[in-house]
Formats: sequence, structure tokens, C-alpha cells
Amino acid sequence: MTNMEKYVKAFSEALEVPESDVAGLVYGKSEAWDSVGHMTLVAALEDAFDIMIDMDDIIDLSSFEKGKEILKKYDVEL
Amino acid sequence: MLLEGKNIVLTGANRGIGNAMLHRFAEEGANLWAFARRPSESFEQDCRETAERCGVWVEPVYCELTDTEALKAAFKQIMAEKKPLHGLVNNAGVMGEDKMFQMTSAEEMHRTFEVNFFAMVEVSRLATRLMARNKAGAVVNVASIAGIDGDSRLDYSASKAAVIAASKKMARELVSVGVRVNVLAPGFTDTELVAGLSEKVVEQQLSKILMHRKARPEEIANVAAFLLSDLSSYVTGQVWRADGGII
Repeated sequence: MTNMEKYVKAFSEALEVPESDVAGLVYGKSEAWDSVGHMTLVAALEDAFDIMIDMDDIIDLSSFEKGKEILKKYDVEL
Repeated sequence: MLLEGKNIVLTGANRGIGNAMLHRFAEEGANLWAFARRPSESFEQDCRETAERCGVWVEPVYCELTDTEALKAAFKQIMAEKKPLHGLVNNAGVMGEDKMFQMTSAEEMHRTFEVNFFAMVEVSRLATRLMARNKAGAVVNVASIAGIDGDSRLDYSASKAAVIAASKKMARELVSVGVRVNVLAPGFTDTELVAGLSEKVVEQQLSKILMHRKARPEEIANVAAFLLSDLSSYVTGQVWRADGGII
């Protein structure tokens, strides 16, 4: 599985949305991605890429696209 | 056994109630990451002997809980071990001098809150993210009846009240990822924290307690073991007093 596939899967499973719908997701703009979903998503990303995301980055994780930038900091290339 | 196969993070594991918890949890089959501030040979030995006696692993973790970077490093190490985390007991705490409200400085308040409250929140954030991966877990935050009744030192009782409020907030949010959060509020317990009290103060305290005695640390540890275990699977967001009967 590629990193991008893992990334999409993490969003899809954590937020319980189809993989085809994850690309446009923005925090707080969909029912699935509320504060609880956010925590589940962080846990899923940490688990998928074996990283520990810093608090500032957890706060910054505001969209599917932003998440890609954040993961770069942890040497995860998508 | 109540905690067989569960992996638990315990802070303040080297003395008092925390040390009693270390022994009790291991006797109930739990494996432990046992946090203490500083390395000591006696603690190392305690962990080794307890692990051997109980057939579990007890790993000492040395960390200043108020040092966020050190704390993160400790949890990264735990994460690297690839073992699921099932439970957390935030036990580490400090108690300032017994002073009047007007005489308690802001610095003293900050110092106590750093350990009793802010470190507890930080440890909880890190640990519950690991628990969220398994969609299960139990957190026990050790407060005090002083956090409910407010009849102790200003810094201490206020920090423990904050622990109770934060725990309820945590319980509300974490229930969706299968993590229960409860508060254990011990009463007058026979630890070094109360060892220096005068006979008069001790008698005053005992006079309020139906059982008219201090708790043994093991008695507090027993309640924590219950709250960590699946026996309390329908319990979350609650404050459990273990106070010998103060009514």
C-alpha cells in the first residue's frame, strides 16, 4: 500500500466517509469531522505512519490538503 | 485476575499511593510503564522484583512530567514498543505548604498546578491518543476529597478540583473512542504527604471519618484497580471517593 493510499484510508476509516469523498474534507465543515472525529483521525494517522504528531500540528490539521503538508514534517512523502 | 494482560501507564509510581498501585496492578496481572521523576536503585529493584513475583513486565520510565519535550520522548518510546496501551493512572501529584489563602503566593499555585493539573492533562492527551487506536481504554485521574470539599491547602485543593472538572470533559469526549475516564478521590491516606502533620491535625481529620482511621495506600489502589478493570465497564465520568466514610 502506498503512503497516499494509507493516508486516504486513515481519513476514510477515522471519519467514516467513503474513500472517494475524503479529498475535499475540511475540519468542522462536515458532520463526520468534528472534534471527536479529529482525535480519531489523529490517532489513525499516527498509527498508519508510526509517528507522534505535535500539538501545534494537531491544531493545524484543518483539511485533507493541510494534512499532507503536516505529514511532510514527519518525513512522510505522499 | 482483574487486569490480566493489560498494559498500563502509571505516574508517581515510586512512592505512596502510586507505589501501592504498582504492586496491586501487577498482582492483578497488569504490565506497567512505571513513571518516576528520578532514577533510583531501590525503585529499579522494586520494579524488577515485582515483575518477577507477578509474572508481568514493569518498566521504569524516568521523566519530569512538567517537561513537555521529555514527556513526548517518553511516549514516543512507549509507542515504539508497539504494545497496546489499555490504561492510564495519573497519580503523580504535589502538595504545597499549609498556608492561609492570603498567604499562598501565585508562584506556589503555579508550581502545584504544573504537576497536579497541566502535567495530568498532557499525559492524558498523549496516552489517550494511543488508546484511541484500539478504541478502548480506561483513565483514572487521582484527585482528592480536598478537590470536592475544599478543606485543604488552597493550591492543592484547587488543582484537584481542576482535575475533576477536566476529567468530566475528557469523559464526555473520549467515550466515543471507547475510553472511560474516572476520578479517584482519596481521603486521609497514610503516606509521607501526611506524615508530618501534628497529632492535633491528625485527630481533627480522623474525627470527620466514620471509620476513624487513615486509609492504607493499598485500599486506594484497590479502587483504582476496579476503575481500570472491565468490572467498571459501565462507569465513566464519575468521581469515586475513598474516604472511610465522610458524610
